[in-house]
Amino acid sequence: MKRKSDVVIIGGGVNGCSIAYNLAKKGLDVVLFEKNYLAAGATGACGAGIRQQWSTRENALLAIQSVKIFERLNRILGQDIEFRQGGYLIAVHDSQGMEQAKKNVTMQRSLGLKVNILQPEEIPKVAAILDVNGMRVIGATFCPTDGHANPFKTTFAYAHAARNYGAEINTHTSVVGLKVAGKAIRTVVTDKGTIHTDVVVNAAGIDSKEIAKMAKVNLPLKPFRKEIMATERLAPLFEAMVISFKDGIYFSQQKEGQIVGGIPIPEETEGYKTMPTFAFLQHMSQTLTRYAPVLKHVNLLRHWTGFYDVTPDARPILGVVKDVKGFIQCNGFSGHGFMISPMVSKLLTDLIAEGKTSEVLESLSLDRFKGKVTEKELSVVG
Amino acid sequence: MVRGRCVRIRTHPIIDFPKRKQLSFCFQKKRLVGEEGDTIASALHAAGIRTLTTSLKYDNPRGFFCGIGKCSSCLMRVNGIPNVRICIAPLKEGICVEMQDKLARLPVAEFFGEPTKTLDFDVLVVGAGPAGLCAALESASRNAPVLLVDENQCLGGQLVKQTHKFFGSREERAGTRGIDIAKDLECELHRLQREGKIQVMTDATVIGYYESKNRHRFGVVKRCEYKSRLYDVRCKAVILACGAMENMLLFPGNDLPGVYGAGAVQTLMNVYGVKPGDRVLMVGAGNVGLIVSYQLLQAGIMVDRVVEAAPVIGGYHVHAAKLRRCGVPIFTSHSIKEVYGDEKVEGAIVVKLDEQWKPVKGSEEDVPCDTICLAVGLTPSTRLLSQIGVDLEFIPEAGGYVALHDESMQTSVRGVYVAGDASGIEEASTAMIEGKIAGLAAAMQLGRIRKKNLLVQYQNQLSQLRAGPFGEKPRIAKEKIAKHVEIGHV
Repeated sequence: MKRKSDVVIIGGGVNGCSIAYNLAKKGLDVVLFEKNYLAAGATGACGAGIRQQWSTRENALLAIQSVKIFERLNRILGQDIEFRQGGYLIAVHDSQGMEQAKKNVTMQRSLGLKVNILQPEEIPKVAAILDVNGMRVIGATFCPTDGHANPFKTTFAYAHAARNYGAEINTHTSVVGLKVAGKAIRTVVTDKGTIHTDVVVNAAGIDSKEIAKMAKVNLPLKPFRKEIMATERLAPLFEAMVISFKDGIYFSQQKEGQIVGGIPIPEETEGYKTMPTFAFLQHMSQTLTRYAPVLKHVNLLRHWTGFYDVTPDARPILGVVKDVKGFIQCNGFSGHGFMISPMVSKLLTDLIAEGKTSEVLESLSLDRFKGKVTEKELSVVG
Repeated sequence: MVRGRCVRIRTHPIIDFPKRKQLSFCFQKKRLVGEEGDTIASALHAAGIRTLTTSLKYDNPRGFFCGIGKCSSCLMRVNGIPNVRICIAPLKEGICVEMQDKLARLPVAEFFGEPTKTLDFDVLVVGAGPAGLCAALESASRNAPVLLVDENQCLGGQLVKQTHKFFGSREERAGTRGIDIAKDLECELHRLQREGKIQVMTDATVIGYYESKNRHRFGVVKRCEYKSRLYDVRCKAVILACGAMENMLLFPGNDLPGVYGAGAVQTLMNVYGVKPGDRVLMVGAGNVGLIVSYQLLQAGIMVDRVVEAAPVIGGYHVHAAKLRRCGVPIFTSHSIKEVYGDEKVEGAIVVKLDEQWKPVKGSEEDVPCDTICLAVGLTPSTRLLSQIGVDLEFIPEAGGYVALHDESMQTSVRGVYVAGDASGIEEASTAMIEGKIAGLAAAMQLGRIRKKNLLVQYQNQLSQLRAGPFGEKPRIAKEKIAKHVEIGHV
């Protein structure tokens, strides 16, 4: 393990690894610490979706630019990350939902995104297994360039490429302390030794809150257990990711043929809970088969939990903090860290390597929570 | 093997295989005939069908491997239902069996799910093999109501194919054949069932462990064609006796139809009376390899030889001597280099190993055979234990990852017990006592009985069985397991 580096990244999820890659590619000396194995946290537990249809402009921008990178990522990283663009079909159930959907679509189109509003009868053309009556919809929005990728393969490919550019990635290494002097980051203490650095990126998922505390920074993050399941493998049935903000459900069929999806259980409260619930099993299977009755024949193979690190406005916390120089935040993704990671890591790399900030970073800084009411992201599932 | 030639065993020195009622069924639009009591896999094998699926990645033909529902190499479509494990699915008159074109399509027929049912028991026992049966009997006879769940159609686990006489002490029915022990245990079980003390659920799978405030909570799926039902099972204690699964060896051709685990071979011939092949190469000279080789001879099947990578025979010498008397050579420091064949096993290349277990150049020998039987050890089935979150540790002497447990078979999570091969690979006699200990300890924990003496007596029996040179490995394993365990109060 190195004793000194330009940047230390805490967290070996997709964001930590993609930042490591981008910084190392620019020639910076990068060391990454992951307390478990790569993608062991929210990245590895996530639903693998990549969506550009958001209610807030910043998220939509980050996602649109990320998709442009995802489209080329196999070539850039030299590994297949199983990126597929089957589109996202967002179910709309009532007039209030349709009003919001139209607002979102207008904003998304202004950013150059191709999004359609579908009538109920057009929905089975996108995914034939869907039952419009069971879904109880009055319409849907559909963006054909949305899709999904394999979160493990993406993270591993970023990490592999980062190593090729000289980044040092230490798994099974916990950060136990941060030393701050003169209002600036100086040292990172791990269970395997200390390292000197001027820049620390806090990309530790839900543990980011604890990490920030070590530098006396308070992050408004709340842990929410999220449950997700995978079925047995089936011949290709549909290509789109199907989601509903009202029902909270999302599901898609992955490259290997399994259907992966999740839904929040009605009585879920915040907390560091990890055990799967029977309520999810029932709620998910009932809702999923209401949307697609033919899936009643399918066996569920696996069911696991992960954490959303939820902020008050369901948008990430990115960039510098006022009181500690060199302490860069990359957390609070509220369930959407994977899909915007390619662009988030680019923006943070520009910030760290060149001191370049941007409109998006400014509006997503920790400072936004001070006093004022921020615009909340409404397009949240799971 | 010539297709259509009779591979049913009709005369056997130990087991009676009477001709049973014929059942006709459809395979790939052809009409075939099996017998009542067959699984789909045994009926297909008897009809000469060895290729059941093709592999997803390389399109290779695949037959079954484990034969006991633990691997996924025999998934087929049955009456339109995809991904059926045909090695444990019973043959029924008129069913339609199809090979899946790689990934499964969904059926057209409507599915009628039954509403979820909640069940409440003192003790849930998972697995009805020797350990699970004994655990269930012990708890139930101490007035702790038991739910016993097993994936198979019939009870007894691997006992139902063990035609050899057991060793050990009289308490553990030494001198009795496994198949007879299974019958005795089942008989006792039915008695307790009639008294309402045990409920048995076969053809059912415990699919997961779920969050619960003060009890343990499991999901169980009971299969029934288009009418499967999900059970929400709550219990105060659970005994996991999930057994083990066969190890695989790495060599070219190891996925050819005809490469079987020893358990699969034993199941085919001793349970269903179907010859696995005509000429067998046995890999592994532990007790399983030796005993199954002898049982193959009893079923009238030629065993070409036994190869063993270690420099010494691992199993009891009495078993090895029986084989040698029948003219089957046992080659120690020998292993399998590759298996060849077009669509199915046609032979194997066997090679001598040097002192560093490296192949000796020029020692290759071509052994024509149609069946490779792998008896190279077992791995404990610990997935459910792992999901519950009990402390697991990799202990080579126990066969891999095992749940740490104390002398009463309790794991690091209070009320979660383990018994039999799932707690470390051993044999049926010790599995039965472990089951009794777990069953009794669970009943004691629930306050149904206070018989510390009996628990100590069982524990002594267990130590006696492990005495002697052949008990060394499990002794080491169990010492390591006991050293590390800390029972929590989850």
